[in-house]
Amino acid sequence: MRETMTVLCLLAAGAMAVAGPAVAAPAEKYLHVNVEDPTKGESVNVNVTLSMAEKILPAINNHNLHDGKVLIHNTELNGVDVRALLDAVRTAPDNEFVAVKDKDSDVHVAKANGNIIVHVIDKKNKEQKVDVTVPLKVVDALFETAKNDELDIAAALRALSDAGDILLVTVQDSSQKVRVWVDSRNTQD
Amino acid sequence: MILLGKIVMGMAGAALTGAGVLCSEGLIHVKVIEKEPHGPHINVIAPAMLAPIAVHFALQHDLARAAREIQPCMPAIRAALDGLRDTDDVVFVEVKEPDERVRVSKSGGSIVVDVDDAGEIVHVSTPIRAISSTVEQLAAASSNPL
Repeated sequence: MRETMTVLCLLAAGAMAVAGPAVAAPAEKYLHVNVEDPTKGESVNVNVTLSMAEKILPAINNHNLHDGKVLIHNTELNGVDVRALLDAVRTAPDNEFVAVKDKDSDVHVAKANGNIIVHVIDKKNKEQKVDVTVPLKVVDALFETAKNDELDIAAALRALSDAGDILLVTVQDSSQKVRVWVDSRNTQD
Repeated sequence: MILLGKIVMGMAGAALTGAGVLCSEGLIHVKVIEKEPHGPHINVIAPAMLAPIAVHFALQHDLARAAREIQPCMPAIRAALDGLRDTDDVVFVEVKEPDERVRVSKSGGSIVVDVDDAGEIVHVSTPIRAISSTVEQLAAASSNPL
């Protein structure tokens, strides 16, 4: 009887060991986009699994998008060495790097808790407020395996899947509110 | 009498098997309800297996053009359909306006499109497997003109 129990316990332990990784598998991540315009009574909700976006992106070869990478023209970078810039930001302590205030806009760029945070207030455009939070890991992934004039969007999506729940973008003006975020829920409720 | 019974059983069995094969790829459901008084109501439920077969009966000229146009998008379409198969049930897009609602979702292996506007209510549900077979059939038409 005791031997039978021992064998059963061993079998159960084995089954748990096999099932363990399956149980611990990361949950599917969803990229959500929500646009609300209460003045017009309009709303748009988009929910896409990041894994699906990862699969589709490399299959699209059109204009500047190839194999999940976007080609950036050198003229758009204005001679800025983005990799060196990112390296400097990565190694720097949490801080506000840029603060520009003029009569038309108010721009702040900072690093906090492993994220790059950008706040923009566009005073000309209906007091539009834009907040962007991007994990540094995602920014790194954009450049890690890409050539000098490319952004690896597919790698960034993979990094985003691993980055946890995060509110990436909010845009708000007098009439509209836009939110883009990532979490493990398949609804926006 | 026994022989007749066997024949009837055989026919019923064949009909059931045929219906089973025909429905093996699921069912396409199209429902259109016109909101105007006495407007027509259309409700069609058809075996999804018929969709790729129907491609064979399309006009050759139109089919060739559609096949040429779809060819460059095939890798993306295949990847999208693969991704759709693997993903859980989800509402992909939902647009709400004061007089119109549009919803595109995945539900139980099918892509479901619901539109509710001032004039009509439309519901279309198509199994992903059927979409895949039909698109492949269409793409093949460019290499093997029918």
